[in-house]
This record gives sequence, C-alpha cells and structure tokens, in this order.
Amino acid sequence: MTHGTAVRIAWAPAVTAGWTVTVVTPDAPDATATGCFGMDDAALVAASIDGRREAFDVIVERHRRTVYQVCYRFVGNHEDASDLSQESFVRAWRGLKTFKGHSTLSTWLYRIAVNVCLNRVSLKTLPTDSIESTDHFEDTRVEGAQAALLRAERAATVRKAIASLPKKQRATLVLRTYHDLSHQQIADILGSSVGATKANFFHALANLKKLLGREP
Amino acid sequence: MTHLTSAELIDIVEGTLDASPQQHLDTCTECRQQVADLAGVLSEALAVAVPEPSPLFWGQLSQRVRTAIDTEPLAAGGWSRWLRWPVLAPIAALALIVVALAVSLPREVPMESAVANSEAAASTLDDGFAVVADLVGDFDWETAVSAGLIVAPGAADRAVLELTALEQQELTRLLQAELTRAKS
Repeated sequence: MTHGTAVRIAWAPAVTAGWTVTVVTPDAPDATATGCFGMDDAALVAASIDGRREAFDVIVERHRRTVYQVCYRFVGNHEDASDLSQESFVRAWRGLKTFKGHSTLSTWLYRIAVNVCLNRVSLKTLPTDSIESTDHFEDTRVEGAQAALLRAERAATVRKAIASLPKKQRATLVLRTYHDLSHQQIADILGSSVGATKANFFHALANLKKLLGREP
Repeated sequence: MTHLTSAELIDIVEGTLDASPQQHLDTCTECRQQVADLAGVLSEALAVAVPEPSPLFWGQLSQRVRTAIDTEPLAAGGWSRWLRWPVLAPIAALALIVVALAVSLPREVPMESAVANSEAAASTLDDGFAVVADLVGDFDWETAVSAGLIVAPGAADRAVLELTALEQQELTRLLQAELTRAKS
C-alpha cells in the first residue's frame, strides 16, 4: 500500500505522439487505511496491536517525515537515512506491545530512531551527500544561482560537520536544534540526565564551531 | 573568577537563564564571547534544512516498511518472542553445525592402532567406528526390531554384489584393517 504521490505514465497515441503524465495528489489515503485516519496515535497503536496493519500504515505515514529527518540529520545522506527510517519503523512494529503510552508516540519513535542511528553509526562511517545530490530541489530563481550555490555548499559543509560529531553530541544537537525536544525529553531518550544533555549540547556546538572554523 | 558552566551557558543561549548567571555575564568578557560563539554556530546550524526528497520517496518508504513487516508477525512480549521461526531457525542451524562438528572432528588415535596405508585413513576409520559404537552401545535386538531397523535376510549380500570392483576392493581393505586391529 502506498500513500505517497503516484505518477502514472501512459502512451497516448490518439492525442499526440508523446507521454501523458498524471500526478495524483500526494499522500492520498489508501482505501484500506481510510478508516484509521481519524484515529489518534493511541488508538492507532491499539489497532495495530490488534492486528490491523493498516493502522500501522497510518502511524508510518504520520511520522515518516519526522523519523526520516532525524535520520538524515544524523547521517547526512539520503540513502542511509531512508534505510534507517525503514529500520526504525520495523523496530517500532516489533516493539509495539512494549509501548505503554508513558510518553507520546512521537517521542517513542524518536527514541527508536536515535537508537537505530546510534547503533548503525557505530558500525561504519557514513558518507554525507554532496551538494549536487542534496540541494537540487531548491528553487534558484529567486536568488542568483551563484548565491544559491554558495548557500548549498555551506549547508553541505554544516551537515558534514554535524555528521562527524561524536554520537551523543550529534543526537543531542539534532533533537534539540531541529526537533525542539526539551532537555528532559532528550535525557529520557538517551538515558542520561538533563545536566549531561546540556553539557552534550554545549560540546556539540563548541565542536561544530571548531569543525566549521576549519572549513573555508 | 568562576566562569559559567556549560549548562548555564546553554541556558543563556536558549534564553532560559536565572538572574545570577546574567550578573556574571555582564562583567565577564570571556563568557560573553562564548555565548556569542555558541549562538552564532547554533544560528548557522538552524539555517540548514534537510533537503526535501522526491515526492515519490514517501510512498516508497511506506511501501518498504509494509513489505518488511509483512514478513513477520507482531512480536509478543516476554519469552514467547523466542518461539518464532526467525529466531528458532538460526539456533537450530547452529545446533546442527555444532553436532556435525562434534561428530566429524578427528579424535586422538594411538599410533600403534594405525592401520592400512595412511594415518589419516586410520583416523577417519576409527572415528567412524567410534561414532557407530557410541550410537549402538545400548542398542539391543528388540530395540532394533521395534524401531524397524532390521534389514531383510540376504540384503547385505545383495548390496555387496552391487558394488563396483573398486568399491569391493575398498570394502575388503576396510574389513581386513578391522580384523587386524581386532587381533592386535
């Protein structure tokens, strides 16, 4: 079942020689999942545990962007971020019965995604996307192409620097800066204290400054 | 002068500081510089967005997740999670490998018991008989009959007649080796 944008390409000889491209609305709900779309996260979790996989599809659809962004911030490239996102949801599915609702579903998913990233990153050094592969969706019509290129280059440098931070510093920086989690939430996710989280955040920023200072 | 801690500096950068660190900040150039540096790098990090993937990606991701979880049931909690085939199959395979290794690994053979042409052949032969002896040590005739392991009369003779010349030669060699060993 796919909820994302679907593109259908068909040959249309009766009109003109060429291709007819039909773009369907993004995130159009699948018929089997329609009944779950009105549910809140707790109800979706309960329905998933009851064996309604379409309920878990809705959970994935609701949180996939956030999970992907956490993973991307962590590894700095699309390929690994998509693999890690998939793995995070698979682990969430496996552990659904252990979700007690003490935290929100999104915080629980953050925890899983961060753990998946921490484990994966410890296994290998991940490559970061080059500017050619990451920023080609940006609109360069508003500002000059040169300025856009410089901005993309700098963004790639920052992403690369973030991806090279020590794991816990990186996790803290990503969750605090980009996902606006409180220090307490981050401490819960990482299994540390608020003081340690603030110290990690401080060192992450300090190291980031050093790393960026070495870049042109 | 005692400078601000890392936690206090973060509180200041995030705008959640108490009054006392602020008083120190008013008089300490070094801490003010640190706050400015932290705020600067934080601002730069904030400006970096995650590149938006192709619109098709989100559907593909959902599909990949669905395909992945379709192959496995929702895991139960506690010990029962270990009773799933994806867990049991590797354990069973590992157990089989261990048993196979235990059976096939050569055991120490006294030099005086080595027979036939090579020591290796003797070792393998000895192992084979040791395994068979272990297996049938407690086996009696009634047990074999009840297990349906009795061969028909004359079956061994027929099997020997079906051997090739080379196989018969090898069988002869093995039997002679065993006889020699039994006599010694």
